[in-house]
Amino acid sequence: MRQKITLQIQGMECPNCAMKLESIEDRLQGIFRAEASYHKAILKVEFEDEVISEDIIRTEISRLGYQAV
Amino acid sequence: MMNILLAFVTGLTTGGLSCLAVQGGLLASSLTGQIEKDLQQSSTQSRQRSRKNQPANSKPQLAKPILVFLLAKLIAYTILGLFLGLAGRVLQLSPYMRAVLLIGIGIFMLGSALRMLNVHPMFRYFAFEPPAALRRWLRRKAGSSAESPLLTPALLGALTVLIPCGVTQVMMAAALATGDPLQSATLMFAFTLGTSPLFFAVAYFTTQIGARLERYFLRFVAVVVLILAIVTIDSGIALAGSPVSLTRWFNQQLIGAQQPGLVDFQPLEDGNSSAQVISIRVQNYGYEPALIRAEADVPTRLRLISKDVYSCSLAFTVPSLGIQELLRPTGITEIEIPPQPEGTRLVFSCSMGMYGGVILFEDV
Repeated sequence: MRQKITLQIQGMECPNCAMKLESIEDRLQGIFRAEASYHKAILKVEFEDEVISEDIIRTEISRLGYQAV
Repeated sequence: MMNILLAFVTGLTTGGLSCLAVQGGLLASSLTGQIEKDLQQSSTQSRQRSRKNQPANSKPQLAKPILVFLLAKLIAYTILGLFLGLAGRVLQLSPYMRAVLLIGIGIFMLGSALRMLNVHPMFRYFAFEPPAALRRWLRRKAGSSAESPLLTPALLGALTVLIPCGVTQVMMAAALATGDPLQSATLMFAFTLGTSPLFFAVAYFTTQIGARLERYFLRFVAVVVLILAIVTIDSGIALAGSPVSLTRWFNQQLIGAQQPGLVDFQPLEDGNSSAQVISIRVQNYGYEPALIRAEADVPTRLRLISKDVYSCSLAFTVPSLGIQELLRPTGITEIEIPPQPEGTRLVFSCSMGMYGGVILFEDV
């Protein structure tokens, strides 16, 4: 089923980080859309929960050097 | 000439650091195409070499894409300079408008510095965030570059024009203030050229301008931008003619022991009365004397004497009277000032508010 989550992100230091976080859209299968906002320090992710879980998304975010809280 | 040199040196030092912090990520992404291509090639070559027993060479060839990135950036900013100069000419900024612009940019820089120092989340709004669609497009361009690795650095280099760093924004304001397309383009060219060596060195020797380096630079840049912000706001305040400003304070400290300006009287052209003539020596680092006592209620003529001056002190302004005069590097320029009532403090300064002085009109 299609899911939509909004994660608060720690460790974003400039607008470039938003672009880096959004790259999970290309890195992980099952993500329809990832949209980050440096201003609000959030990441909105739309994904297919039968293909990918929220935990995997959180792990990938940590791997990029940020923390989803 | 002095301004161009100053722009180059600013680029070479603070500009390079500041731009690297803002645009380093874009440069790093633009290089991924080349790295991927080199890795692909080296793995193919190593398979071939293993058959021929030759050593593998897996070092990415990054010099070329970095140079292409920097060249594209240089061209883009020079063109931007051209447009800024044209805009400045059309707008014909008055000293007050320039003061407002300087104060605005100063506040923006102050916010940016506080944002970089993570003082409060609200300062995040001082950073320009490209729209999501543009970010996606940039990311796709950076990712799909394996086939044409030089196109991406060229494109992303040119696109850095959309994310100018704090110091670049100051330079853009200075370019706008020139009001001359050629001068403005040269200024931006010199500045961007100045930022290039640091970009090249860091990008080349570290390959990955990752989060660690960005953070290290960000702290240093934040402090430099903070200082520049204070200087910029103060220049704006000084240019607006405020009696209280750091520039004024420094000037007063410097001129504390100085003799008041030279004032003599000369007949006016109509021969009926005389005007007091105030001689001011225009120098590369300011005006001398910077404190002048003059007689109230009589016509006044400012005689500005310059000799081999190439700094912004040539752009002489008296904000409260709307006087703007671009002086010759060497020569004498005379400006007529109507009689001023007793107690008037007439502030004059260069067009950027960096150098200035004051004429006190008193009853003699």
